[in-house]
Amino acid sequence: MADKLKPESEAEKNSSHNPSRRRFLKGVGVAGAGAAIADHLLLNVEAKEAGTVQATGARPAAGRINLALKINGQKRNVTVEPRTTLLSTLRNHLDPPLTGAKLVCDAGTCGACTVLLDGKQAYSCLVLAVDTVNREITTVEGLGSPENLNAVQKAFVEHDALMCGFCTPGFVTTISAYLKKNPNPSLTEVREACKGNFCRCGTYPKIFEAALAAAKSK
Amino acid sequence: MQQQPSKKKKIKVPRVVDGIETMVEIEVDDVEGPVWGPNDKHSLLNHHLQRVDGPIKVSGVAKYTYDQRVPDMLYARILRAPHAHARILSLDTDAAKQIQGVRAVVSATDEGAAAPKDGATKQPVVLFAGMPVAAVAATTPEIAEDALRAIKVKYEVLPHVVRAEDAMKEGAPKVEPDGNLEPKDKRGDPEKVAADLTKCEVVIEGEYRTPIVHHACLETHGHVVDYRGGDAATVYASTQGTFTIPGDAAKTLGLPQSAVTAVVEHMGGGFGSKFGIGIEGQMACRLSKLAKAPVHLMLTRKDEFLFAGNRSGSWQKLKAGANRDGTIVALNALQYQLGGVADGSQAGQPYIYNIPNSYRERIAIHTHEDGSRAMRAPGHPQACFAIESLVDELAYKIGMDPVEFRKKNLKDPVYHRQLDRGAREIGWERRNKTPGGGAGPLKRGIGCAVGTWGGGGNNQCKVDVSIARDGSVTAAVGSQDLGTGTRTYIRAIVAEELGLGMNDVSEQIGNSKLGRANASGGSTTAASLAPSVKDAAVKARLAFAERAAPLLGGAKPEEITFFGGTVRAGGSSLPWKQACAALPAAGIVAHGEWVSSLQASGVHGVCFAEVEVDVETGHVRPIKMVHVQDIGLPLNRLALESQINGGMIQSLGMALWEERVMDADLGIQLNPGFGDYKFPGALEMPELVPIIDDEDPREAVIGVGEPALIPAVAAVPNAVYNACGVRVRDLPITPDKLLMSLMKEAKI
Repeated sequence: MADKLKPESEAEKNSSHNPSRRRFLKGVGVAGAGAAIADHLLLNVEAKEAGTVQATGARPAAGRINLALKINGQKRNVTVEPRTTLLSTLRNHLDPPLTGAKLVCDAGTCGACTVLLDGKQAYSCLVLAVDTVNREITTVEGLGSPENLNAVQKAFVEHDALMCGFCTPGFVTTISAYLKKNPNPSLTEVREACKGNFCRCGTYPKIFEAALAAAKSK
Repeated sequence: MQQQPSKKKKIKVPRVVDGIETMVEIEVDDVEGPVWGPNDKHSLLNHHLQRVDGPIKVSGVAKYTYDQRVPDMLYARILRAPHAHARILSLDTDAAKQIQGVRAVVSATDEGAAAPKDGATKQPVVLFAGMPVAAVAATTPEIAEDALRAIKVKYEVLPHVVRAEDAMKEGAPKVEPDGNLEPKDKRGDPEKVAADLTKCEVVIEGEYRTPIVHHACLETHGHVVDYRGGDAATVYASTQGTFTIPGDAAKTLGLPQSAVTAVVEHMGGGFGSKFGIGIEGQMACRLSKLAKAPVHLMLTRKDEFLFAGNRSGSWQKLKAGANRDGTIVALNALQYQLGGVADGSQAGQPYIYNIPNSYRERIAIHTHEDGSRAMRAPGHPQACFAIESLVDELAYKIGMDPVEFRKKNLKDPVYHRQLDRGAREIGWERRNKTPGGGAGPLKRGIGCAVGTWGGGGNNQCKVDVSIARDGSVTAAVGSQDLGTGTRTYIRAIVAEELGLGMNDVSEQIGNSKLGRANASGGSTTAASLAPSVKDAAVKARLAFAERAAPLLGGAKPEEITFFGGTVRAGGSSLPWKQACAALPAAGIVAHGEWVSSLQASGVHGVCFAEVEVDVETGHVRPIKMVHVQDIGLPLNRLALESQINGGMIQSLGMALWEERVMDADLGIQLNPGFGDYKFPGALEMPELVPIIDDEDPREAVIGVGEPALIPAVAAVPNAVYNACGVRVRDLPITPDKLLMSLMKEAKI
């Protein structure tokens, strides 16, 4: 994979001649779930290096890298820092962006950012974009379009399995992948499959209905 | 449509400010206006209609505020204070500004910053842990987070108080200069109540507490402020009030209000917490103005927990007496509302009951905690939990069926009807005849509770319905859809009036340049907006009939009907598009205003819940919940069932799991994230039965977002009592509390 991570020449020029622990930590820090850990480490380092931030001029140390990602069957090029999550890459760095996967908790607790990596569900806020090179990334946009919805999306609309709709892409993606694995699930199995996704409006009962209906329609 | 402007009548309508409603009297024209007709005679309304924005939401195409990305946009992050009470001595942003990619930094110490100040020193002060003190805009969100870490703030930490009991003590740190207790209202004669209570055959006295809970909207609060230093700005906002944005934003940007356009295409939940631009919106505007570039500032999840509001907690001391025949005679209620630096809210006791002699006193207790905001039925679940627990206790102590006991003390026959219906649906006769009785550690029980809400509208929506020559029909109004299905019912009202299908009409909403509309609070949206849409649609139909008359053999306009995509009179009929081709080039534009007779106010609402309690672990498993709700004319049954489900689920969360946990010594919240703040998930879902009470004869629109949430918060604890014979008066009913109560009462 190392050959995919070619540093930009400019980044190379900017890379520090006297690397410090602080910079190293910033380089490996993750914006999402890793942030808490990185915060903790940085605080300790910062305490020891108090006053040096201004002197050296704090700047992100790691530079930016070009990535070629396979998203929804297309090759997409993007330039990000190595610490950038897949979710942030899709939403904030890709041009044009893919904003179907939602940023809600950024800590791997709610499932709103669920995407498929080689067909398997993943919280994209917990995955670094650099780790998805050579993998098939599928977002909710890749499952179906408004004019050509997949069976799960269609069932969600028919059963009113959404209200504000912000958790919906995550649920749709989770259930679409689950039904491939288990095409004829029971209600209990559907609930189990949805346990990693949160909804606040309270659409769960209709989501279960929709999932079961989608399974039947196939 | 005879206009008789001299005839007026006075009606009471809700006025909602920041989600909190008060009733005011207004004068409206007393004229024969349009009518909805019988509730069971609609072709689209009162049917199961699929959400019109469903396809774009399930495919990830719908653009929420969080999803906006405009050219040259910067990303912003907010720095929060770590202390519950402190003075900011200095705030150094120099290092942050030097980070490559950082474009603007604002802080509480800037001139003109809207931050609370110390009266004596004029230094900015922090009043709760998590209060925003600075914000950074940078080219990526990752760099903005780096910059926050480079900001150096020196605080003088001051003594704080975050527990209501501590805030009442003499010498407690003061949240407000005048002290921490703020009397709200007093009603009744306490001495007479005390005298009556001594004469009652049965008396219950108890302290009831409800936790501070969070809205936890999945789309956090925030804005994309697109201002590049010119003379106009566009503000994309995740808000419940499109029209609450331009004024606030214009003030911070230094522009006239008319130069700011608010856009709310789709929004990811509000539940009462999203009115106005807030501190985060002010910071976004200041950053955008400074950087002369668009700024995307959406709160992080931790921000959302720490400074984006919550439902106020409550602590209620109640004492009530009843006679053996089941009549409640007297009630004394001391109601503390716990809203942190804000006031909190609480419906006054005895809530829905008519108790001959009652006294209540409401007092706000202030603490160094983020201020409460309106949250779905502000003040009601708190009051409902306390009184409906107490009423249940009285019923059991007297030995009466809790449903019959309620009916004896509620005069309104609608409650009787709904209690009977709910009892039938849940199988009330299956309840535990002896609370706590039965063999084995798993005990089932059933409980019930009742609530009330207003749900009427006000004269505040202006809608345009236009019919173009090509046959296209558009309804336009600036209102917003919180997930309640506003877009769908706008379209359905117009389509039904013109005899068209759902796909023949489109709607434009969520833009402050369109017709004015109210903010969505107090369940007032549907009852304010639907009448205006209907009025516009009726006027469009009448104007069209005038134009179409010559094409239909000279029929009189009032004889023309619109049905099944055709325009008809007598024996003649024209397809819709053909009739539209006869319109003038400008088409027809009809303007609709609010019609008071198309809406109504005042609903009930009854919930029954069945739970299973494991008396060995203290775990409560909800099994089934039924909510019966009167609605007047149900605009869209599918969306209403979803909304009732949602109300039950949020209320269930408050009863069993949700709670903000504070560390009293540090003054900080211990669970500001979804990993530690437990709200209802897929595995906990009971069977849910949402019931629209079709015996409500009113042919009028009423909002029911709020009432659907209210009674479950008491029905679930009452079911817990029925199951295991132990009363927990302190929500949420977590296993530790239930086990302690079981041990105290020696049930295990």
